Amino acid sequence: MKRLFVFLIVALTISLFAQASVPREETVYVAGALWGPATTWNLYAPQATWGTDQFMYIPAFQYDLGRDAWIPLIAEKYEFLDDKTLRIYIRPEAKWSDGVPITAEDFVYALELSKKLGIGPGVGWDSYIEYVKAVDEKVVEFKAKTKPLNYFQFLSHSLGAQPMPKHVYSKLEAEGKIKDWINDNPDEQVVSGPYKLYHSDPNIIIYQRIDDWWGKDIFGLPGPKFIAHVIYKDNASANLALERGDVDWAGLFIPSVWEMWEKKHLPVGTWYKEKPYFLPDGVGFVYLNNTKPGLSDPVVRKAIAYAIPYKEMLAKAYFGYGSQAHPSMVIDLFKPNKQYIDYDLAKKTWGTSDGRVPYDLEKAKQILEEAGYKLGKDGIRVGSDGTKLGPYTISVPYGWTDWMMMCQMIAKNLKSIGIEVNTEFPDFSVWSDRMTKGTFDIIISWSVGPSFDHPFNIYRFVLDKRLSKPVGEVTWAGDWERYFNDEVVKLLDSAVSTLDPKVRKNAYFKIQEIIYRDMPSIPAFYTAHWYEYSTKYWVNWPNEDNPFWFRPSPWHADTLMTLFAISPKDNPKPIPTWIETVEKGGISIPTAKIFEDLQAAK
Amino acid sequence: MTFKPMLKFLLRRFVFLLVTYIVATTIVFILPRIIPGNPLAQMLSNLSRVAQANPEAIRAAEKTLMEEFGVDKPILVQYGQFILKALKGDLGTSISYYPRKVIDLIVPVIPWTLVLLLPATLVAWILGNTLGAMAAYRRNTWIDKGVLTAALIVSQIPYYWLGMIFIFLFGVKLGWLPVQGAYSQGTIPSFSWEFFVDALKHYIMPFASIVLSAMGGWAIGMRVMVINELGSDYALFSEYLGMKDKRIFKYAFRNSLLPQITGLALNLGTVLGGSLITEIVFNYPGTGYLLFKALTTLDYPMIQGIFVILIASVYLANFLVDFLYAWIDPRIRLGQEE
Repeated sequence: MKRLFVFLIVALTISLFAQASVPREETVYVAGALWGPATTWNLYAPQATWGTDQFMYIPAFQYDLGRDAWIPLIAEKYEFLDDKTLRIYIRPEAKWSDGVPITAEDFVYALELSKKLGIGPGVGWDSYIEYVKAVDEKVVEFKAKTKPLNYFQFLSHSLGAQPMPKHVYSKLEAEGKIKDWINDNPDEQVVSGPYKLYHSDPNIIIYQRIDDWWGKDIFGLPGPKFIAHVIYKDNASANLALERGDVDWAGLFIPSVWEMWEKKHLPVGTWYKEKPYFLPDGVGFVYLNNTKPGLSDPVVRKAIAYAIPYKEMLAKAYFGYGSQAHPSMVIDLFKPNKQYIDYDLAKKTWGTSDGRVPYDLEKAKQILEEAGYKLGKDGIRVGSDGTKLGPYTISVPYGWTDWMMMCQMIAKNLKSIGIEVNTEFPDFSVWSDRMTKGTFDIIISWSVGPSFDHPFNIYRFVLDKRLSKPVGEVTWAGDWERYFNDEVVKLLDSAVSTLDPKVRKNAYFKIQEIIYRDMPSIPAFYTAHWYEYSTKYWVNWPNEDNPFWFRPSPWHADTLMTLFAISPKDNPKPIPTWIETVEKGGISIPTAKIFEDLQAAK
Repeated sequence: MTFKPMLKFLLRRFVFLLVTYIVATTIVFILPRIIPGNPLAQMLSNLSRVAQANPEAIRAAEKTLMEEFGVDKPILVQYGQFILKALKGDLGTSISYYPRKVIDLIVPVIPWTLVLLLPATLVAWILGNTLGAMAAYRRNTWIDKGVLTAALIVSQIPYYWLGMIFIFLFGVKLGWLPVQGAYSQGTIPSFSWEFFVDALKHYIMPFASIVLSAMGGWAIGMRVMVINELGSDYALFSEYLGMKDKRIFKYAFRNSLLPQITGLALNLGTVLGGSLITEIVFNYPGTGYLLFKALTTLDYPMIQGIFVILIASVYLANFLVDFLYAWIDPRIRLGQEE
């Protein structure tokens, strides 16, 4: 009797709850973009869950780094009324996932709300844009500010604007609930992109494709029906999952990644088959605090630049995943950027064939000696005014093993040239506190990456004193080393307020002169754009042979296009061609063309 | 007759617990704030690094966040707010998972932690004590030597290391058991037979690694205590009276159990804190990882929230032990009467 009862209960449970799961062949499993529970699927929060910005809310135009072009997504075209006024025409097909058409009002509302809340998509736009208004249902107008006039920021804020569903948000706004809104009910999510939430719990987040997405006749649908991100607790377990084929798409730091295919023969790949394996993601700097005695002297900073063992350091500590950065701070691995480097000046200054800083301890000692820094009995140099070069600390957060090793190698070399430097590895929040308050001596840290307004973005981030704050006050915006130079500020402003490419180039060249003279901080290496894929279930991943999309890392804000390239292994589909520029038969508009149109509108 | 002193005893304990609880929560409030650093750092660095946002955006976010979390307010005001909210059962809003409520983040992982650690702790306790008592009973036989040696070795092995060995052996090499997670990836938790079996497969290794390594300690402790009891006056006296070995052992066993119960209760109390390293090694959901994340990002409300729950459960366990003790051991109960 009792047994029968148990049996009945079990049978009943089985029939009531069939096993729910997503089919493996239709799911792309992701690792490396999410390391903790989900927060919110609402962009008006300091950090929305991974996927919200990537897959759910798309912009009018998507910037394509590799082709230096703009893909019209929600917008179908633009028009310049004059050289300060831009109109964007919304595609007639564009709809929210609940069927409501995407209108100009949604653009205006999204930006006005960001301005009002001080957080959200496009926040900060009002520094560069005079107004944004709806001309009619489907036309949005943006007017650039003349003070400051920054064509790059004007274009990236207007072309890259993300509309938000006004009919959803205005209700929440009326109730004063926007900031606390979690938006975790898939049935109530109203999105413009091809995915929305399917399931979320402390272990996993799953997005589901919207099969009748409004853009499917224009762009087709992205490959995977589901995108699932298991929340791994650490790098090791995520790496193991990739090795076992449980993960298809990753953005992970993996030591000796080549062993995956060379030794273990796994169907795993990165962007390049050979060194450096990864695309560059930004410039890793050795920041030198310009307010510390000794480090405030450009000669000392230059000596430090000579004393960094770039090659050895990157090979040993970084597995060769990045190369030495160019001292001009410009990322010269992308062709369009090269025109902004004054190679003649760089070669003359540093005496190398491509103008990179040579690793030369003797030269470092020599310039210190010439500047009057004499070796003391303790092996530490002292300047003629009594300034002792050390002890300083060089620090990165604890656990950042690759950078920790770099610190050790740099410290060792600096000691050998008479600058006393010790390593220190505090907890991240302590370290970042020192970085942003300007109380550090020397740190290795990130700067910005390749982007539409490169190298303006990096010059601004590292050198613009307007982003800085006095020592002791927190600034996350930039200029952590506290370099103050009004001339740079003027040059920066002139570079972005002109439509003449020559003027812009000359401003950048002049800035490079100043950089080589002052060496405010040292652009040391290119950080890697972590991206690994497995072809066990999915093929056609972007890589050097299939350069479909240049920001393929799952955590990157612009990664969505990656998913349009891939298809299931047993059912490969042709790679879309619409992503190409207009002259190559695609729909993407080169930045050069946009600037031409802007000039012509004058 | 015995009811009144017991009530008095329990009431006294309760008041004591309440006072220590307030002290403990105050410490929990102060400690994370002594750690230098900025709770908003992680979030702002994400904005700065991953989003590669423009400086204006970071500036705006910085300002908005400072106001939002009130981290710029005087510490006494923050303390007052924390105590007032905690009394209302509101543990506040997490900083790093803003705008999620702390309680909403903790509650979904608690079942996993409890399901893993409660049975593991109990099984380890029962097995450990049984083995320990057996060894003491059969002192100097091969059972005793075997148990003692094994227990000494096992208790010295860190459980995470044991976990890694398990993963390597049964997961990677033999491929018998899944290496990570609480259930197969892609499955969605449901009350179905398949899910139960799947979760059980994922359960075996973390469970076994905790049980095995915790067992040793219990066994060693129990063995010593039983041996001690067996050498005490009453045991010797009973032996001289010609009482059966088994009966004497039963007395000794019961008397040795008392301190082990305290140990168990304390262990059970801390169960809610999760088992951080097991969670990381097996990629298992639980409160340990949440607490770890909160500590490294200085998410004050989250740290406070987890500790408030943890302290409450330790105290509850203590309180229950007191109650049990008073029940089991009349000396304690009657001792209150003076």
